This record gives sequence, C-alpha cells and structure tokens, in this order.
Amino acid sequence: MATRETTPGAILPPPRMTTGKVGWIRNNLFSSPSNGATTIIVAALTLYLLWLFVDWAFGTADWSVIPTLGGTLVLGQYNSDSVCPSNDCFWRPQASLLIAMTYFGILWAVAATTLVRGVALTTAFVAAAMALLPLPFDEMGMDVRLLLVANIPAVFLGRWLGRNTPVGSTRNLIIIAFVGFITVYFLLRGIEGVPGLYPVPSRFWGGLMLNILLAAGGITASLPIGIMLALGRRSNLPVVKMLCIGFIEFFRGVPLITLLFMSQTLVPLAFPRDFPLDEVTRAGIVITMFSAAYMAENIRGGLQALHRGQTEAARALGLPPWNTTTFITLPQALRNVVPAIVGQYISLYKDTTLVFIIGMLDILHMGSSFIGSNREFLPHSRELFLFIALVFWVFNYGMSYVSRRVERNLGVGER
Amino acid sequence: MADQPRGILTYQGIPVWRHAVLIQWALQIISAIAVVTLVVWFFSNVAFAINDRDIPFGWNFFGRSYGTPVPEHALPFNDSTDSYAYALLVAAVNTIILAVAGVILAIIVGTLIGIARLSPNWLLSRLSLVYVEFFRNVPLLVQLLFIFYFILVLPPITETYNLFDVLYINNAGIAMPQPTLSSGIAPGLGWVAAAGAGVFLGYTVYKLRNRREIVTGAVSYPLLTGIGTAVGIAAVAWVAIWAMAGDTPLGLSIPAPDDRFGRIEDGLRVRSGAIVMLVGLVMYTAAFIAEIVRAGIQSVSRGQTEAALAVGLKPVGVLRNVTFPQALRVIIPPLISQCLNLTKNSSLAPAVGFADLTNVGITMTQTAPAINIFLVIMLAYLAMSLAWSAVGNFYNWRTRIVGT
Repeated sequence: MATRETTPGAILPPPRMTTGKVGWIRNNLFSSPSNGATTIIVAALTLYLLWLFVDWAFGTADWSVIPTLGGTLVLGQYNSDSVCPSNDCFWRPQASLLIAMTYFGILWAVAATTLVRGVALTTAFVAAAMALLPLPFDEMGMDVRLLLVANIPAVFLGRWLGRNTPVGSTRNLIIIAFVGFITVYFLLRGIEGVPGLYPVPSRFWGGLMLNILLAAGGITASLPIGIMLALGRRSNLPVVKMLCIGFIEFFRGVPLITLLFMSQTLVPLAFPRDFPLDEVTRAGIVITMFSAAYMAENIRGGLQALHRGQTEAARALGLPPWNTTTFITLPQALRNVVPAIVGQYISLYKDTTLVFIIGMLDILHMGSSFIGSNREFLPHSRELFLFIALVFWVFNYGMSYVSRRVERNLGVGER
Repeated sequence: MADQPRGILTYQGIPVWRHAVLIQWALQIISAIAVVTLVVWFFSNVAFAINDRDIPFGWNFFGRSYGTPVPEHALPFNDSTDSYAYALLVAAVNTIILAVAGVILAIIVGTLIGIARLSPNWLLSRLSLVYVEFFRNVPLLVQLLFIFYFILVLPPITETYNLFDVLYINNAGIAMPQPTLSSGIAPGLGWVAAAGAGVFLGYTVYKLRNRREIVTGAVSYPLLTGIGTAVGIAAVAWVAIWAMAGDTPLGLSIPAPDDRFGRIEDGLRVRSGAIVMLVGLVMYTAAFIAEIVRAGIQSVSRGQTEAALAVGLKPVGVLRNVTFPQALRVIIPPLISQCLNLTKNSSLAPAVGFADLTNVGITMTQTAPAINIFLVIMLAYLAMSLAWSAVGNFYNWRTRIVGT
C-alpha cells in the first residue's frame, strides 16, 4: 500500500489574513495593484495638502482677526455705542437665547426621546461653553459669561415646566412658539419709554444673530406653509390648484436675491410709510416664502410616493377626506421626506447669508466690511472666512446628523 | 305623491350648506376673490405710492444710452452709445455663458467625486465624503467670498506669476493663450467646419466598429479608430488650408506683459470675478451632483453588478456599460434641478463683482427705475428656469417606459 509523503513544497501557505488591522488595510487599501497605486498617490497628495494647510494654519496664519472682531461677528452693531448708548443691550439677545433654550427644554419634556434630549442638552452645553472663550474680560464681561452659563438651567427649567404645568402639551407647543417669537421680537426691538428696553431698530440687528433669527423664523413657518401648498397643488379644485402651482413655480423660478431686492424696493410701496413692517421682517417673509415653495415640492414628492391603497382604505373605513389627510397620508408622507425637509432647512439657513448683498449687517457683512476698513487685515481675510465657514458648517452638519437620527428612529425604509 | 324636484340645490335631498360640490365651488370662488383682491390691493397701493412718493417708474429707460462700462462682455459693448436694453442682453449672455460653463464642469467634477465615493479604496471614498460634507454645508456666498479674498491677496500685476510665458496669474485674474482668426475668417471657419465634420465622422466610425465588435466579437478598437479618424481629418484639413491660404487657419494670441505698465495684453484674459464665480459654483454644485450620482448608482440593483462581473466584464466596464446607463434614469431629473440651481446661484455675482444679469441690474438701479429693472431680470431668470424644465421634461419623455 503506497503512502504519499507530504513534501515540504506541497504545503500551501495559509490564506491571506482578512481580519485584524493588517487584513483591513489589505482589503480596503491594497486589494489590487491599481488599488494600491491609487492609495499611494491619493495618500501622498492628501498628506501634501494637509501639510500645506497645517503649515499655513499654525505658521503664517494670523488668527487674531477673529478675537479682534469678537462680539460684532455674533451681534453685529447691536451693542455698539451708536445704537445702544450705554452698551447694556447685550443681555437682550442673550435673554432671547435663554427663551429658545427653555423652549427646547419644553420640547424635551413633551417629545421625551433621546434625540430631543440630545439636541437640547448639546445646544445648551455648547452655548454655556462659550463662556469659557479665552477673550479678555473687558471684551466679554462676567455678566455675559454668566448669562451664557444660564442656558443649562434654562433647559432644565423648560423641562420642569413641560412636565409639571399645562405648558407641556403638543397643542400648546405651537402657541408657545408663537408667543416666544413675539416676545423675542419685542425684546430685541425694544419698546420706547421702557427702562432697559432702549429701542434698537431692526436694521441694526446683525451678525450671526440675524442669520439665526431669519433661519428660525423660516424653519418654523415654511413647513406649515409648504404643507398647505403641497396639499393645494394636489387638490382637485382647479382654482386652488392653479393658485398653488403659480405660487410655487414663481418662487422656484427666480433667484432668491431678486426676490430680496423686490422685498426692499417694491413691497414697502404697498404699505403706508409708517407701517411697522421693517427690513428684517420683509426679508424674513421672502426667505420663508422661497423656502416654502421648495418645501411644498418635497412634500408633494412624499405624497405622490404613497400607495393609492392608503387613501382608498381610509376612505373605505369611512374617514372623511380631511381626516384621511391629517391621520393617514400626511404623516406617512412627511416621514418619508424627512431628509428632504432637513435638507431644505439647511439650504434655508445657508440662504440667510444672501441678505449680505442687500446690505443687511449679517455675519458676512460684519466680516467683509471689517476687512474693507482695516486693510492691514486683508492678508488674513482667509482666516476670517474660513472661521465663518466653519461656524455654518457646524450648524448644518449638526442638522443633517439629527436628520439621519430621526430617519433611523422613524424607521424610514424599514417598514 | 309628487316627484321631488331634482334640481342642483336639493340633489338627493342634501341641503345646500352640506352639498359637497357647492361647498367646494364656494370655497374656490372665495379663495379666488381673496387672492385677486389681495393682488389688486397690493398693486394699486404700489401704483398709488409710485405717484405719491415720486418713485421712478417707466419703461422708456430701455432705449437710453447706458453710459456705464460692463466689465465682462462676450458680446461687443460700447458704453457710450449702447442702450440699457442692449446692456441687459450683454449681461444675460454673461450669465448664460457662466451657467453653461459651470454646469459642464460641475457635472464632470461631481460625477468623478460621486464615483470615487463608491470606490473600493477606503481612502478615496473617505476623501470624497469629506469633500461632499464640507462643500454642501457651507453657504455658497461664504465660499465665494473666501475665493474672492484668496485671489485678492495673490501678487499684483507687476509681480504676476508667469508660467512659461504663456499663462499669467495675478490678483486681477488669469491670462491664457487663445486661438484667433488672425489669418482671415474664411480659412479659420473652414477649418473649424472641417474639424467638426471630422468629429462627427469619427463618432460614426466609433459607433459602427463598436457594433461590429459586439456583434461579431472581432477586435476592432472602436475608440482608437474613432479618435484617429477625427484627428486625421482635422490634421489633413489644417495642412490643406495652410497650403492653399499660405497661413495657418487659426492664429494663437499669446498674452504678454505690456512694456510700460506691466499690464497683460492679448490672449484670453479672464477677470477675477468670473474665476471666483466659476470655481465657487462648480465646487459647490459638484458636491450636490456627487451625492445624486452616488445615490443613482446605488439604486441599481446589486444583481446587475454581480451578473456583469460573472460574464467577465472588468469593474470599469461594469460601471461604464451596465450600472451607469441604468443609473442615468435616476440621476438625470435631480441633476437637471441642480443645473437650474446653479443658474439661479450665479445671481450671487454682485458679491464678487462679476457682471452678470443681477450685478448689471443693481448697477443700473442708480440711474433707472429699480422696479422695472428687477421685473425684467426676474422674467429673464424665469425664462432660464423654464428652459431647464423643458430639458428635463424632454429627457423624461425620451426615457419613459413605453408599453407597460
């Protein structure tokens, strides 16, 4: 009986490692010669660019332009000598922030999800962390810092209110939001004759505060308007349908900047001279309308994607048309287009920078007018605009992160 | 028992106030009246205010001579004689050129980034993710201003970057060589026509040999022969026209610094505003297009890729011949809406000083009625939007699924 000797050469080497760090690198970076070559070229290029950036950021770059601008980037001229004579208006935007944080706390109590808790606590702690900014104390006083830290108790106050008072019901949330907006508006604008509320006309509102205000108003109002427009466009009443199509297509067809110009030249003519409709409100309304038209198309997409059977089943069960919409089709449609809605919110927030072109004092205006009047900072304008870009990036990336989490919580694409 | 009268008001015995059709029509008429009243109220107030507050209004500025330079103009423009209407046309052409160039470049860059996002190479796909997440989440205006100031701190004209004496880059813009019709219009256009015919012929050859390769399996080098045909015909035409006319069909205008002031003369000089707009719009829109391309390719079922690999196609061939053509149906409609967005976003040009429609319009408002100018500009943008929608509708009509 012949037995075969195993010769040393016939023993195959063990298969290539596919687990662990080495295996991961092999699979993802060097799976084939061309892949390996790509990795080496891309890595070399990335490292070179990264080196250029680090060399610039920690070498030639002079970041002092940002602390020099300091508070004006956030508030514009709101607290300057010419607008607020005794420089004690800073607490009003900060109180508005506290109101917003309290509202977030109420939302946390009502919605009671980890996500809302996360959003409320993160924003409050980020705002509070601003108190630790390494700015000199004559730039950013102790009172400013304390009011920033107060954002954390404000969230918990809101949560307590939401749990223990009638404030915390879904229906009341809308009323509170409305009351909150009015309060913030009068807080910021001031009231003639009331001590401590020295009037600050809205044309002096500025900085990041203006961008956030315009975005907050737009985000709150554009969703309901968009829903109404979307339902109107799908309605089988010809007149309503034509009106909605006309509105949507007009606002989607022209650039926002031309609409903003019209809001400053044409719209004031339709009102009496002393009508209390200021520049900022007009710009806010136009931005909201513009956004609502896009929002309507997103929601219409969600409505169209719903199976006809949903409506038919609801009608067969005897639900009247209105209830079919509010309880059956709309919730499902909205759930399916959460990413599109948040995407629209992000572009709304980005679009608030356009008020710069019509001469409002938003964060971009503060930045570029500072560079314009202090030519010695011209070589360091890159630092300033990179910083502004990062500020917007953090907000928007946060929003898209929340949107992905909402999507997962609602189980989009799973059911 | 007498029959009930079955008029519309008592249809099936439903009282008037609960009659669905009547309620609907009443609502529609009320909403129509409300909207019409609002619009009439708005415009009659505006008309009254125009008279009352002496707001400039009227259309006769169109024929007046504009008298202000338009910095960039693709059409010839003489600022002392040409009218407002013509200046608006020049500006609209600038917008269209910017939009078309931006759309072409953004589609190329965006598609490459979108494909890189799906690359099996981890580093490449992460880098594209970083690109997309950064450029999507920063306002376009911030990006434009960043590039604007970036160019502004480049060396001035007197210390211009000089690449091989043909390319000059400084804080005023960029200057590069440009083909010209220096030796007469007839030979130049003749060669362009011949080259165009060559490209067409080359494409036909490519199609035919490609089909032959697919049908018979014979190796036919379709791409190589196609490009060869096109280049060959263009080269033969070049030599022939050179021999006949005694001069090359097209000249080349090379930029060079002026002796006295160091100003760059000749060549194609692009001012910084146009560069800022083009670069900014392309980088921003490319991030959105990359996401559209990625989603489109991912929407093609995995089975298609696996089947294509199983029949022996290489990964590049799978993408080119199987996945991408199927993904196009999903990609094109949102892509068209991005093209429309790019066109509308080109209206941010006033911030960086490029003479587009909006910028020229804003300049005009100092010497002509602002309301009229902006009405015209809005109409122009609406027309451009409609043009893009028409492209989208045409594509949807071409690729509709027939006969289901």
